[in-house]
Amino acid sequence: MSEYEKVLLKNVGKPNSRQLATYVEGGGYSGAKRALEQTPDDVIDVVKRANLRGRGGAGFPAGVKWSFLPKDREVTYLCVNADESEPPTFSNRVLMEEDPHQLLEGILIAGYATQATVAYLYMRAEFTEQYHIMQVALDEAYNAGYFGKNIQGSGYNLECYIHRGAGAYVCGEETGLIESLEGKRGWPRIKPPFPAIQGAFGKPTVVNNVETLANLPHIINRGADWFLGIGPEGSSGPKLFCISGAVKKPGCYEGAMDFSVRELIESDRFGGGMRNGLKVKAVMPGGISMGILTADELDMKMDFSDPAKYGLLGLGTASAIVIDDRTDIRKVLRNVARFFAHESCGQCTQCREGTSWMYKMTNRVERGLGRLQDIELLGEIPAKMGMMPGLSICGLSDGAAFAIRTIVEKFRSELEDYVRSENDDAVRIALEIAN
Amino acid sequence: MAKIILNNQEVETREGIPVLQAALEAGLNVPHYCYHPGLSVVASCRLCLMEMKMPHPKTGELGWAPKLMPSCQTPVRDGMEVRFDSDKVHENQERCMEFFLLNHPLDCPVCDQAGECHLQDYSYHFGKSESRMVDQKHVTPKKDVGPRTLLYSDRCVMCSRCVRFCDEVAGTGELCITNRGSKAEIDAFPGKPLDNPMQGNVVDICPVGCLLDKDFLFQQRVWFLKSADSICTGCSTGCSIRIDQNEDHVHRLKPRFNPRVNQWWMCDEGRFGFKYIHDKNRLTRLRLRRGESFESFRWESLAETVRYRFENIAKKQSDKKIAVVLSPFLACEEAWLLVKTIREIAPNATLILGPVPTVEQDERFPVGATNGDTKFIIRKEKCPNRNGIELIIKHFGGNTETFDAFVEQASAGEYAAAWISGGYPTEWVSKDFAKAAGKIPFKVVHDLFGSALTDEATLVVPACSFAERDGTFVNATGVVQPFARAIKPPQGCKRDGQFFYELAELEGLYQSPTVLGMMAAEIDEFKEVYVPPQLPEHQH
Repeated sequence: MSEYEKVLLKNVGKPNSRQLATYVEGGGYSGAKRALEQTPDDVIDVVKRANLRGRGGAGFPAGVKWSFLPKDREVTYLCVNADESEPPTFSNRVLMEEDPHQLLEGILIAGYATQATVAYLYMRAEFTEQYHIMQVALDEAYNAGYFGKNIQGSGYNLECYIHRGAGAYVCGEETGLIESLEGKRGWPRIKPPFPAIQGAFGKPTVVNNVETLANLPHIINRGADWFLGIGPEGSSGPKLFCISGAVKKPGCYEGAMDFSVRELIESDRFGGGMRNGLKVKAVMPGGISMGILTADELDMKMDFSDPAKYGLLGLGTASAIVIDDRTDIRKVLRNVARFFAHESCGQCTQCREGTSWMYKMTNRVERGLGRLQDIELLGEIPAKMGMMPGLSICGLSDGAAFAIRTIVEKFRSELEDYVRSENDDAVRIALEIAN
Repeated sequence: MAKIILNNQEVETREGIPVLQAALEAGLNVPHYCYHPGLSVVASCRLCLMEMKMPHPKTGELGWAPKLMPSCQTPVRDGMEVRFDSDKVHENQERCMEFFLLNHPLDCPVCDQAGECHLQDYSYHFGKSESRMVDQKHVTPKKDVGPRTLLYSDRCVMCSRCVRFCDEVAGTGELCITNRGSKAEIDAFPGKPLDNPMQGNVVDICPVGCLLDKDFLFQQRVWFLKSADSICTGCSTGCSIRIDQNEDHVHRLKPRFNPRVNQWWMCDEGRFGFKYIHDKNRLTRLRLRRGESFESFRWESLAETVRYRFENIAKKQSDKKIAVVLSPFLACEEAWLLVKTIREIAPNATLILGPVPTVEQDERFPVGATNGDTKFIIRKEKCPNRNGIELIIKHFGGNTETFDAFVEQASAGEYAAAWISGGYPTEWVSKDFAKAAGKIPFKVVHDLFGSALTDEATLVVPACSFAERDGTFVNATGVVQPFARAIKPPQGCKRDGQFFYELAELEGLYQSPTVLGMMAAEIDEFKEVYVPPQLPEHQH
């Protein structure tokens, strides 16, 4: 783990960090001004060279995403994905609460690069306080001429609106977000057409995550090479990590992507070690939908490429839940299954029915009424539900599949031991009552 | 045109249509729920997934892509290769069927859809016989979503066809999806029941027994029904329909696919407008006036009597006119036979098109649609064959008159005899007309129901409803379409075509195609008859 100087969180803890004056004093909006002096293509070029990969979960390079926009477009919309709802992720929240202008500057730069006319900041319903913070900051920015007509004398116009969601995980999926923004049910769209061609209100649209945009002022100010110099190749740049669970210092931290899960837990810079002498039993290092690691797999690097080697879906939101050795894995499994059954939007058959079936089974297993067939099925359903690509419209079913499948695979013997120790008669009677 | 390779066989199809549609048209039974060619594509049931050959992202070599593709969402491109017969595809179908049945109540014995249910059929073809779920099923409520429709949401497979129909075709958008995930349900918005003039179609497009027609509910098991291809007589659109009957009782009408007229749809007015067929008040006796009262008459003597009387009047009262009132409910063949006969007897007989029941204006769908985006029209003319009758009147030419002029002339006593064909499902005889008809000494009234006119008639000939007849209608846009008979006429009635046939002194049984052939030899418009393509099961 290398030395690291905070970039994204550098204003956190400063007095009045939410105010425009404080932000400008610390060099704020200089990146935006610099960007407005360049051509939009130059800005895209820098971001492309920096290989800024999306921080929302999928890790798709932001510059490349922008270049999918058709050349002859007339209207472009920029959607900012602040529907942060992956358990246990709260890095966007910290960015918006503590340093709203950093995000607004990022929106301005991304808007200019894509020549967007309107930017929508889509915030999850539960962000009530954060919504007010952002709105106050946005009003300040408008008054100072960073939004609206002829921004800073550049001739570029950008309107920014904050839109609040109604409370659905699936609205964090970019086309679900767009549908919700349009006032419809938050059902992910079938692709093609991709949002870059036909997105919000039928117009070319770019959807970027809050943290991705927060990186932009720094890339413009310090250049692509600075960005590439942080962290390993392919996973460069500053990154926020959240850690929660039985660690001494749960919270949101910043670093390069050059350390392992073990370091995230143990290091004094991050989690500070386990609380009360507890031991690590498992870690979900990228939000629950990426899958689980056992205590033996803590050497996984928190970067974009390593998680796949451990059977995980990806880095996700780089937010770890640390599960200690007191925890019953059946409860973890049930909790995860409950989340996905609750949040499945209900469009695609596999996801809609698969998640609820798994929840019913895990619920029963947790109550001590499991059967060996249930464990078998809990391995099989997700393996067929999300592992074979193309079975569903969006990635939610993949997430549900990875989360449950990795738990069942990696903790199979423990689950089977629980089931074997149960009273067969009780299981039989319970099932008879159920039907 | 495009050529694609489908399951290793070259198939000719059309560029740009969904691969699923091409596969269905090629005769493949590809399971699907959410796809309907008349609605937008949502690709959410994931049952029609296929394998497709794509270039490898690195080597560029063509090979089967690891990803399964929704065939409803993938357009046909010339030269593409797809398959539905691989293990991967079958495995997905089998799994989907297991998922669909997880929370589905296995209440087929009491379900109206049983026998024509896509869930039954696909389970049989693609599913397994047992479910592996041992937990309790979700129970979602049975709902009364509108005056004509019930929604048993526990049977729903969430294909969302009904929601899309209300949004895209009816344009009224009463239905929506509430809740999320496996608890999602179709529902009507509060205070806005499913009550639009097109709503019956949601029952047709529902692939399972979720949306039910209250009118048909528990009336018949569908496997007892026998069908005949007919044309709706509700308005001049002339929708292709199927009459479903059992034991000479019509139980329901269903739309038939007709690309030139009604696509997949029909309106409620037509769908439920058949009840008069089984009305107890229908005329079922051939009656002849004797003084003040009527007496029964034998069908065998009808042709001779009618010919004799008309001949007599034509000869003896040549200063007065003879009228033939042709109802726009008559089939072209029937009208043609009748006019031909009367004109033979009385070459100067006046031809009159009966009153055309008309409301204020056409109803276009989606609601508020203009010419370009109209998907369905309920026409203001509430009869099926004005165009056809006008063609025949035009063909025979000679003396013709509008109905209003006829009424006027009749009240002035200008007519000595008249053949008046009715056949309207509702009251059609105005007071003026009844009064005017009183001035015609000899009149044959051929109608479905008794009226002031039949009370005055010399001879009352009971007519048959559309379900009991066969022939040809010409719709508002000039499409000539044949319709077949579904049931026997009620006892005492005779098929209209048959007695017109006998009246024309033709030998044998009336067959509408024979008469059509005779007509077509004289009238060009009848040379081309349009019969929509027959679609196999599970195809749209």
